[in-house]
Amino acid sequence: MKFAKYGSIALITFVLIAGIAIPLSPTPQGWLQFPVIPGLGEKARNILYHVPVAWTTVVAFLVSMYYGFRYLKTRDIEYDIKSVSSAGLGFLFCFLATITGALWAKFNWGSFWNWDPRETSIFVLLLIYGAYFALRSALETDEKRATLSAVYSIIAGITVPFFIFVMPRIMSGLHPGAKGDPDGSGPVVQFKMSPNMLVIFLLGLLGFTLLYVWLLNIRVRLAKLEYERSSHQS
Amino acid sequence: MSAISSTLALIRKDVHSELRTRYALNALLMFVVTAVSTIVFALRSDQPTSSVLSGLYWVVVFFTAMSGLSRTFVSEEERGTTMTLQLVATPSTVYFAKLLFNTALTFALTIAVTILYMTVFSNAFVIKTMSIFIGTVVLGSLGFASASTIIAAIVAKANTRGTLYPVLSFPILIVLLMTVMGATTKALDGEELSSALGDFQILVGYILAMTGGSYLLFDYVWKD
Amino acid sequence: MMDFLSQNQMFIVMTIVLIIWAGIVWYLVRIDNRIKQLEDHSKKG
Repeated sequence: MKFAKYGSIALITFVLIAGIAIPLSPTPQGWLQFPVIPGLGEKARNILYHVPVAWTTVVAFLVSMYYGFRYLKTRDIEYDIKSVSSAGLGFLFCFLATITGALWAKFNWGSFWNWDPRETSIFVLLLIYGAYFALRSALETDEKRATLSAVYSIIAGITVPFFIFVMPRIMSGLHPGAKGDPDGSGPVVQFKMSPNMLVIFLLGLLGFTLLYVWLLNIRVRLAKLEYERSSHQS
Repeated sequence: MSAISSTLALIRKDVHSELRTRYALNALLMFVVTAVSTIVFALRSDQPTSSVLSGLYWVVVFFTAMSGLSRTFVSEEERGTTMTLQLVATPSTVYFAKLLFNTALTFALTIAVTILYMTVFSNAFVIKTMSIFIGTVVLGSLGFASASTIIAAIVAKANTRGTLYPVLSFPILIVLLMTVMGATTKALDGEELSSALGDFQILVGYILAMTGGSYLLFDYVWKD
Repeated sequence: MMDFLSQNQMFIVMTIVLIIWAGIVWYLVRIDNRIKQLEDHSKKG
């Protein structure tokens, strides 16, 4: 956990500085220059932040699903605590991903929202999180809440692969990897990044994931303390 | 009792209680008429394009289904027959019975909306490729039911049933809705059957994934 | 003053971002330590 804490602080600080400070140049040389991606220019820097945040929200959702599944198998309330905490973080990161995405869309393609497949799927993820928390607030007993929200998150999780893989195939869209993209389609898109940019990008990915791990750890410890306190008082 | 005969018996029970009160059928039919009337008033004399029409078609189906399909489980809770059902039948029997009932209900719904649309939008709502349309409606009904049935079971156990049902169902049904709307547009435009095969593949995959997942998870929802 | 600001936009952005980030980190570390105190407290008592 120490690794997650200090690692995430260090990595994200580094990526924030490097991502903003390193200048672009048409013929990048050495470590301290980024290539110019046609059509993006300075705005390409957003890749280093928008993508890791979107990635983290998917990770958080999968983790929440996993803990929900474990709860169904063992009926140990601790798994439900972990499941909700992860879902809360996923919601936050999903929000951030949507906002960073919308800002980027405005500067790049002219409008904040266009309903292209990737945008639609992050919107759907937002709806799933919202529905998840709405369901939880409508259930009273701890066990029912844990069981039914675990079931719902798994059902919702089943629809997610349809989004990631199927929709972009059918609908053409703005994001890279959709039907109209001359670079070809695929769920994970190979960005034309130079090695130094790729390294910083991967470090950022790792940094945000570690941040998520640290935040999850804090939330779970806090929830456990609250749970113990409430069960001691009653 | 074998599994199939108990499933059929459950379906027969639901059909009988529906025919006795006709509550669901009446309410849903009225909802459809109201929704279509609202659309007609909104459009006045404008003739909508095929993509708009197919979208409106499934919008009506979706909202009517949302107001009706949860009844299969909520009515059991309201009448207090849930526990009897738990004792008398295995969870999988209950699930498949409710699933097939919901499918039939949704299919009847689509037929009602189709008839209404053909009457009201007689110029614009002309189905040029019948094979695509039938395939879409059948697969769409199955898809709707396969996703909504387990959500109905979940919602029946909660407090704020009415509003919670659409909120939970919509994110799950979005994939289905988009595919089905696209396919219906193709049917209205008169495209070849082959162009809709991709959509059909998605629908079949969706139905299999949803039914399989719901079947595996139904035990956890159904048992207290 | 304005010239300096308009020419070094990148560094202005970076400074602001780093200040916000430092604030977030400080807040998180504070929570982490508080929780650790509470956990030790409940373990002892």
